[in-house]
Amino acid sequence: MAITVKFFAGFREATGKRQASIEGVNNITSLLDELVRRFGEKLAEQLYSSNTRELRKTVNILVNGRRLDFLQEFNTPLKDGDEVAIFPPVAGG
Amino acid sequence: MIISGFGETGQRKLNVAHVVVAGIGGLGSPASSYLAAAGVGHLTIIDSQRVELSNLNRQVLHWGPDVGRLKVESATEKLTAINSNIKVDAIFEQITSENVDQLTKGVDAVVDGMDNYPTRYLLNEACVQNRVPFIHGAVEGLVGQLMTILPGGRPCLKCAIPKEPPKKPLFSVLGATPGVIGCLQAMEAIKLITGMGKPLVGRMLIFNGMDMNFDEIEVNRDPSCQVCSRQNR
Ligand SMILES: [Zn+2]
Repeated sequence: MAITVKFFAGFREATGKRQASIEGVNNITSLLDELVRRFGEKLAEQLYSSNTRELRKTVNILVNGRRLDFLQEFNTPLKDGDEVAIFPPVAGG
Repeated sequence: MIISGFGETGQRKLNVAHVVVAGIGGLGSPASSYLAAAGVGHLTIIDSQRVELSNLNRQVLHWGPDVGRLKVESATEKLTAINSNIKVDAIFEQITSENVDQLTKGVDAVVDGMDNYPTRYLLNEACVQNRVPFIHGAVEGLVGQLMTILPGGRPCLKCAIPKEPPKKPLFSVLGATPGVIGCLQAMEAIKLITGMGKPLVGRMLIFNGMDMNFDEIEVNRDPSCQVCSRQNR
């Protein structure tokens, strides 16, 4: 068992993958660290703003189809079998 | 041509339907064109802008000679030319928390043709509260997204995208992208009105023209969502 991460739009371009199976992480922060370790600078650039290293506001994360808890945010715990979707919502019309 | 679940009854349902198209730009142009052509009897189009030259690459209801005109005026002219049997109400106004209720109450569907999240969130909330289907769409570059929001314990736009993505001063859109998403919004509205098929509820469709694929993201309702769980209590 592991956590399944699904990439959409720009994140798919950055990773070259539709999805990845990740083991040994227990919350969103450690998952993102592991993803950057695995997929490198191209993904890091999409996730974090280059000077502050804060997660970009263009990144939307759903866990099992649910938005992150407002209080826990990136400390939201993950467990085996969880499905995490990462996508950049677009705004234009 | 025969479409299962459509037929004469479906056509009659469309004829007595009232759809609001909020924003008559890149998404609203194709969406309203196909709704008019399908015979949706009553369209209300809302927009507070005038046609600019830079709009013409994607806002296909507005043409070169329309630059400087009100978008709602230019669009009304084209939509009634597409189908003279329908009624088009043009509202030259900005959607605000004051007027959003009155603009959306009692209609059969609201199509999201906006270019910003604050107004989308206003429409999302008003539609959930007034129990009106809201068909969300958004685009940038060659990427588009689509989700249908139905009242009654189903996930809303805030469940899928809780925080407004940062405003970009300028983003470019390949005109065909809102063409794709706007047509799909019209299709969702037509399906809801006629009762055909399965609406895009509880899932967001992501279109990526760069790789040319469509994907679905599962979306579940956040039980603590301030918009859709309040309505459900
Ligand atoms: Zn909600």
